[in-house]
Amino acid sequence: MTSLEIENVYAAYDKADVLEGVTLTVAPGRITCLLGSNGSGKTTLIRAILGLTPPRAGTIRFGGATLSGLPTHKVIAAGIACIPEGRKVFTKLTVEENLRLGAYQEASAAAVAERLGRAYEIFPQLAERRAQLAGTMSGGEQAMVSIGRGLMSAPKLLLIDEPSLGLSPRLVKENFSIIRRINEQGITVFLVEQNVHQTLAIAHYGYVLSQGRVVASGSAEALARDAAVQRAYFG
Amino acid sequence: MDAGLLAQFVANGLMLGMMYALVAVGFTLFFGVLDVIKFSHGDVLTVGAFTGYSTYLGLKLLGVANPWLQVAAVVIVACAAMALLGALIAKYIVMPLKGAPALNVLLITLMLGTVLRESVRLFYPDGANPKRFPRLLPTDAVALGSFNLRLDSVLLFLGGLAVIVAIHVLINRTKLGLAIRAVAQDEETAKTMGINFTLVVLVTFAIGSAAAAFAGVMNGLYYNEINFGMGLWLGVIGFSAAIVGGLGNIYGAILGGFLFAALQTVGAVALPFASAYKDVFAFAAVIAIMAWRPTGLIAERTSERV
Ligand SMILES: Nc1ncnc2c1ncn2[C@@H]1O[C@H](COP(=O)(O)OP(=O)(O)OP(=O)(O)O)[C@@H](O)[C@H]1O
Ligand SMILES: [Mg+2]
Repeated sequence: MTSLEIENVYAAYDKADVLEGVTLTVAPGRITCLLGSNGSGKTTLIRAILGLTPPRAGTIRFGGATLSGLPTHKVIAAGIACIPEGRKVFTKLTVEENLRLGAYQEASAAAVAERLGRAYEIFPQLAERRAQLAGTMSGGEQAMVSIGRGLMSAPKLLLIDEPSLGLSPRLVKENFSIIRRINEQGITVFLVEQNVHQTLAIAHYGYVLSQGRVVASGSAEALARDAAVQRAYFG
Repeated sequence: MDAGLLAQFVANGLMLGMMYALVAVGFTLFFGVLDVIKFSHGDVLTVGAFTGYSTYLGLKLLGVANPWLQVAAVVIVACAAMALLGALIAKYIVMPLKGAPALNVLLITLMLGTVLRESVRLFYPDGANPKRFPRLLPTDAVALGSFNLRLDSVLLFLGGLAVIVAIHVLINRTKLGLAIRAVAQDEETAKTMGINFTLVVLVTFAIGSAAAAFAGVMNGLYYNEINFGMGLWLGVIGFSAAIVGGLGNIYGAILGGFLFAALQTVGAVALPFASAYKDVFAFAAVIAIMAWRPTGLIAERTSERV
């Protein structure tokens, strides 16, 4: 099994570093979460992994292969998929086109058809609306499109950035249970969240990011009790 | 006005509209994937027409006399060579300017266009003078009253139509087309789908440039003449057509191309004493349309833009 190893990663947009030497490991087959308040650099770390904001220094490895320095499509080819912050569905494409894009690197039409079927099984609402433009869907439905799309490549590792953002408590709960099921099917999950309690309830291991540095880490149970986490989140 | 003459005007307008549409589609594709306006596009058309002409001369030297073979080779070589040139321009000139202000890209490609145009003028043998482009298609004609419908015009129009339909099918019905649309909407998210962004951009520039080459050859076959400045004018019109139709929208570009030709035709018919004013009329009408619909006729709905 392959693990994601992030070692001493620095990343910046303009000049000032947003990530200042982040080191963490996403263990295979598990849900690893990254908690942190607004602006702590969580999304930047996801972008660094994907090669969208290439690290200024440090290395990112996935199952022995070095990802840092690769263009994004090669990172994806290594077996990684992303459910990005804010869903990022292609609003002017149909639901089905969105899903198909998730399997862009899959050459076998049969495999794509089979995964489409599975996505529609998980989200029956999407099946009814497969020809609808994604931009005309509700926020909750767009979240389904985004999750379904992330699964279409049958990834080894799924990066999920704040899936609960902007959703009703009921939908948040549903999404978290879907994430747990995804993981039970053998997909490694790296979950970025601000929703501490529900995240720690499904995660196996967690890290806390603050101002671009990892300030705490441990098993989910330990983190739930950890004073640093409490401080980071509740003042 | 005499019906035959009117029919002649309409036929000519349709032919011009097709050429403009072919050029406009390129502008709109480039804008779609990279948000740039590539002003050298018209001059790529010129180079394409001269490449086609050289291919014809080469075949003649080799003793290939079959006009169908000649026309096929002229079209294929011109389109393939311009596809390559378009991809090279994208890779070495436009892509490196990514992130620079749009005005810089516009200026630099404007200069590149001048380099291409002047190179044809200076380095092509006797390039400063117009070249007689051969009639390669059968010129049989059917007389419809006083209007002569010529077979070569019909074939050229159908050829242009085939290219437009092929581009439509490519964009809307293929995986590559899906990738192009995804990149046009959201470059970063498209990358995270595993799309090779650079490749998609290069292929898009190749497609648009090949369409321009086709328009250049079409223009040569229709008027039986090419010159080093032909692409400048067609480029300006193609650009206006893309803008008036709604930059970024393929159907807008096609609509804009035919609309511009229609305006020219109306101008020519309405002002028979001064048909030189037909372009003035057409551009004035375009300005009026832009004042009425600043984002073009088929505008992206702003609510859809994130
Ligand atoms: N595209 C960008 N250009 C410049 N600075 C940026 C950009 N994106 C983020 N930043 C800055 O980087 C820092 C970290 O942002 P990041 O998006 O990684 O935070 P985050 O932990 O994901 O926050 P949130 O929980 O609000 O999503 C912030 O100070 C932000 O202003
Ligand atoms: Mg974020």
